[in-house]
Amino acid sequence: MPQAKEAQTENSSRDQILGRIRAALRIVVSEPAVAAGDSKRVIFQTIDDPLQRFEQECAANLMECALTADGEASAQHLAKVLQSLPEGEAFVQEDPTLRRLVQLAAPARAIRWSTEGAPGEASQVTVTLAEALIAQTGSILVSAGCGGRGASVIAPCHIVYARAAQLVPDLATALGCISQQRTFDRNSFACVISGSSRTADIEKILVQGAHGPRRLVVILQSGT
Amino acid sequence: MTQTAAQRFLQDAAVKSADLVHREIIRRGMDSYDAAHLKGRARIKDWEAAREKCQEIKRDAINHLDRFLLQFEEKVVARGGHVYWAANAEEACAYVKNLAIRLGVRTVVKSKSMVTEEIHLSPALEREGIKVWETDLGEFIVQLRNEAPYHIVTPAMHLNRGQIATLFREKLDPGISSDDPADLMAVARRKLREAFFTAEMGISGANFLVADAGVVAISTNEGNGRLCTSIPPIHVVVTGIEKVIPRLEDLAVLWPVLATSGTGQGITTYSTMIAGPRQSGEVDGAGEFHVVLVDNGRSQLLADAEQREVLHCIRCGACLNICPVFRHVGGHTYGTTYPGPIGSVLTPHLNGIGEFKHLSYASSLCGACSSVCPVKIDLHHHLLQNRRNATESRVTKSSERVIFRMWRAVMSSPSMYALGGWTMRKALRTLYALGLAGTILDPMRVWNRYRAPVPLPSESFRARWRKDRAAS
Ligand code: SF4
Repeated sequence: MPQAKEAQTENSSRDQILGRIRAALRIVVSEPAVAAGDSKRVIFQTIDDPLQRFEQECAANLMECALTADGEASAQHLAKVLQSLPEGEAFVQEDPTLRRLVQLAAPARAIRWSTEGAPGEASQVTVTLAEALIAQTGSILVSAGCGGRGASVIAPCHIVYARAAQLVPDLATALGCISQQRTFDRNSFACVISGSSRTADIEKILVQGAHGPRRLVVILQSGT
Repeated sequence: MTQTAAQRFLQDAAVKSADLVHREIIRRGMDSYDAAHLKGRARIKDWEAAREKCQEIKRDAINHLDRFLLQFEEKVVARGGHVYWAANAEEACAYVKNLAIRLGVRTVVKSKSMVTEEIHLSPALEREGIKVWETDLGEFIVQLRNEAPYHIVTPAMHLNRGQIATLFREKLDPGISSDDPADLMAVARRKLREAFFTAEMGISGANFLVADAGVVAISTNEGNGRLCTSIPPIHVVVTGIEKVIPRLEDLAVLWPVLATSGTGQGITTYSTMIAGPRQSGEVDGAGEFHVVLVDNGRSQLLADAEQREVLHCIRCGACLNICPVFRHVGGHTYGTTYPGPIGSVLTPHLNGIGEFKHLSYASSLCGACSSVCPVKIDLHHHLLQNRRNATESRVTKSSERVIFRMWRAVMSSPSMYALGGWTMRKALRTLYALGLAGTILDPMRVWNRYRAPVPLPSESFRARWRKDRAAS
């Protein structure tokens, strides 16, 4: 199909729809005004201790959060988690810190680095960084830069290595950072992940591990 | 003789509300929703302030719809995505179908999207020989049963585990022995994983289109939405024009409110933001990214001075869950893509008031829907307006108009009213005494068919009133 024709068909109804929208918006609708000063009302509980809140929400979201004091402790915890998993390829985001950590934790395991392509169907575990951690909802924020889109969803276990300084109090702060840092100028994807994959589609009974990871592990190292 | 939608509604409603298995499944499902929803709401410090904020955001978006849609489009196109504006269902289906044919697509994985149900996209693709997999567990189940979704958030909530296990045995694997939800999920997961890795196209809906960032926000718990938008080389988003919101920061309130109203969660497990096709240097993602913006009657609703706010709906399902009518007649009885209060308000606008005016009466006007709606849509008043519109536009039957004229005459004359009451008391007492309650001879048959008759008073209200006044 020639390119020019395609561009035309793509927009055949565009102007018509926009015209209808604009005509509709000229109709005045009386809507009760939102009372002034209402915007000052506090919607969400303020968060005094982000770390405590994060741990608490992680537990509620059925994710594992391990606090570590330094790189060595992080590597040890990573080793422990990896040992508990079946043999098989691990997918790891290409990053100097993660390289060091993984070499210490699991020198023998087969590794697929993110520079070699997306995790395969048979990947047992993925290890990535995060853009931020969110205390309010016990979430990790990942972007395409954290090993790609599939890195946080394809394998049955996803391990995230993060630093305490990455913890932000709430969603508003996290989304504000994305806007400010123009994250989407560099990434076609970001996701706020709050727990392991789940479903309650059968009799509203919670089943952990639907199409995505059954386990989400956060290794949170203090310091910056 | 073909049945009208209204006749079918009445018939199905009568059957469903007498179906005790169905009622038990729904009661249990709604009980657990109620508990989670209340707990979720308690976690938000000022729920009313949250609702007001969401209402304000959506109102701002809808009142500047053209501007925000253009802003969204500009961003997506700048990153190499395509935006197609579809005036109606046919245009939307034709676009996706032609795209699939042009790019040689044989298999499609879909994550949940009510708009694709509204425009009947899957049948349109399947007519071209393209295999479509629904990947949300609930949608997968109803797809196997050749049914429409029962509910906009939990499509298979009308089935219990035994029924689902039987279905899976019939359609997927006769060797399935367990009916444990976790095992059933595992069966679906194995089946659908093949599909995720072979499909050339992923189709998703959108919960929000963020204008300032040019982002499509999709909320899913299972991760199927993530896989649909990560693995296949083509990603098509099919959504309504009303889904746009002004700012990325608006999600900080909309996400928690949507999750709380939908399932009682603090936030949906995967709150995904897709800003376009895979960019150079990225590990994965669809190279082809298309957003189909569907109008299909929405711009007409925008022109409705009374009901414009219906476009604020974020499809959380809370109004369905709380509705006493939905809880009794169930989702399929409505015979519409969108069931429950929001469906009863919306469907006459999308599909014509003539055929669907009866839905405005599928409500006791109790107002429970309006009281839970997280974007504060005045649902029950809109139902009332639809009743009025139907009457004024004369799509009502002439017999109906005659009956109501008689009703008005009786109601405005005290003596006629008294006479009517007296006759009914006498007649019903005789009828009940003869054991004819609930038969075709019984004018109260609709009620008495499935219930014990309400005891009849020995005297009229006015007689009692006079007596009590005299006594005091
Ligand atoms: S009308 Fe309100 S309560 Fe009903 S689905 Fe839409 S947003 Fe939810």
